[in-house]
Amino acid sequence: MTSITNMERDSTNAFGVLVIGTGAIAELHIAALRASTRTQLVGLVDTDQARAAAASHANGGVRATTDLAEALTWPEVDGCIVCTPNVSHATIAAAVAAAGKHLLLEKPLATTTADATAVRYAFATAGRTLAIAHTHRVYDYSLAVKAALDSGAVGEPTLIRAALLGGWIWGDWHAWVLDPHRSGGHALHNGVHLLDLVCWWMGATPESVYARGRRQTAAELSIYDYLEMVLRFPGDRVAHCELSRAHRPGSLVQRDILVVGTGGVLTLPWDGEQSLVFDERGVSALLPAGGSAFERQLDGWLDAIAGGPVIAGGEDGLAAVAMAEAAELSMATGQPVSLTPVEVGT
Amino acid sequence: MTLDVLLVGFGGLGAQDHQSAMYLPAFAAHPGFRVVGVVATHPGETERARQAATQLSVPYHDDLDHALSTVEAPMASVAASAPVRAEVLDAVLRAGRHVLADKPFAMTLPETLRLAELAVGTVVVAHHHRFHPMITAAASAVRAGRIGLPWNVQADFVVAGGTPCQDGELLNFGCYAVDVVDALIGIPVRGVHAMPAGAGLTLLALDHDHGVTSTIVVGRTGELVNLPPGRLTQHRYRLSGSHGVLSVDAAKPALTVTTQSTQDRRWLPTDTVTLLLDELHAAVTTGRPSVVGIDQAVRTAEVLDAARQSIATGVPVSLADNERKAG
Repeated sequence: MTSITNMERDSTNAFGVLVIGTGAIAELHIAALRASTRTQLVGLVDTDQARAAAASHANGGVRATTDLAEALTWPEVDGCIVCTPNVSHATIAAAVAAAGKHLLLEKPLATTTADATAVRYAFATAGRTLAIAHTHRVYDYSLAVKAALDSGAVGEPTLIRAALLGGWIWGDWHAWVLDPHRSGGHALHNGVHLLDLVCWWMGATPESVYARGRRQTAAELSIYDYLEMVLRFPGDRVAHCELSRAHRPGSLVQRDILVVGTGGVLTLPWDGEQSLVFDERGVSALLPAGGSAFERQLDGWLDAIAGGPVIAGGEDGLAAVAMAEAAELSMATGQPVSLTPVEVGT
Repeated sequence: MTLDVLLVGFGGLGAQDHQSAMYLPAFAAHPGFRVVGVVATHPGETERARQAATQLSVPYHDDLDHALSTVEAPMASVAASAPVRAEVLDAVLRAGRHVLADKPFAMTLPETLRLAELAVGTVVVAHHHRFHPMITAAASAVRAGRIGLPWNVQADFVVAGGTPCQDGELLNFGCYAVDVVDALIGIPVRGVHAMPAGAGLTLLALDHDHGVTSTIVVGRTGELVNLPPGRLTQHRYRLSGSHGVLSVDAAKPALTVTTQSTQDRRWLPTDTVTLLLDELHAAVTTGRPSVVGIDQAVRTAEVLDAARQSIATGVPVSLADNERKAG
């Protein structure tokens, strides 16, 4: 298919970004692009022609196509943001690397450690920047926790508890997330957020993963909508990650952090940030206004392309995939799974 | 009906003396009990036992067998030093006394099982945290189906400061946390995976019947500012159910009075040890089984025994496997 529409590139010479995949998460990335003075959305790719056309229409008629190879030849494309189903990440990332473009890749980096390793190698070889959208690293709460821990206020963390709980958001049985062959399972799809986060906070590499999963919303699910993942670090340090799309009521939004260190305790309780609204529909949370994590993430990617440190790069993405893959194995076997240094990419 | 009580033992794990710190004042203030004597069961307890006898103006004994044969008290509050706890409980139970037993009831599961066989009267183990008003209300709400079918519990039971237990905080505090989770959901534990989390904490991942899971962090941190040593810094439970979520923060004080130099935080309306004695009194006077009876001592001991095995081996331990081995 050829391009649906075309739009002249802005004369400011902003960094041209091609967004690949136009689902819900792409809208957040596009909003960040729109807010940035450093970037310009120069094209869209979606395998579904109607969706590509709709996304183009919603974004001022920006050029859109169903043909990735064609889009990667557009000269105004400096970098890509990939927002496609997880199983396609490795193949698309390889094409982006081969085209010599920089990449901000939605998590997970890939659905297998082998594929993640290959993607990381491809970008290292191509000399292009690979950033993984471990977006929780740039939320206000995680930055505050990281700063507090790095200040040494609570000493060395020995226990981290991190819970992200919510209700069902995945549509119906047709949702690709529910297909483990397309999403890799919940540990890969969303679990990588917390796995990455606790390692970043802990400042260490785990030795093993023990995980328990539950198909709470329906016994017939092929993935676990509720996860507990326990990482063991050298020196008897532990991180417990809890992730849910299974909680009821579906309006429940809880983020809860507890860190016990050798010199103190850090808490970010579920009601620490949010206000409560009591109205005719009952009680609901009112989350605080704050900086956009997607804008921070975009800036971080651009800074990394310019030579700065990457917020979460290929090594972090590979480590998260290895942990998540081990978590899925642990849930299948009921046993803890060792992580080798090779697996986590150190 | 007033029940006469013999205070037996003034020790515990390490330097602990819950008899002096917790049970004695609660018995002395409770209208349903009257302390009629004290017994030292270990040389290290002598001074504290004598002080208690003087404080209460009751006879002091240093020979347990003699006290049991001469003091006509139907009840004994046993808080003997750890090295002699099992033999003291053995003697008191064989003497047919009703017992309030300090935690841990015994040091090991086999010891617990052996002593359980000797109980003929009422035995109440001092798992008093389940009597916190927030916990009892939560347990009632769960039984009433307020959150539907519970499928997961997350629990934190973390004490700040105080004297570290030389026998380990898992043995020291583990029974409290495991008991509260049991009070909340009442679903037997079938599997345990435990791991240390720093010097004083343990993470317990428990598998219950019906596919229910729970995770408990239990232990002690260093001292924290604005918290008296030995107080709970984290004491909370989140229960997820098929139709709702119940969050209990039992460390949250109901009343806080802050001045220029002090902060006083307290729960209302009464303390959990007094509520434990209410349960003890009701169980003894009515003959009904206690909710923290000998079976509860066994259930918590099974979990903690499996936790120790799991820590040693690094893998989950099935309680069913343990039962088969024991059988």
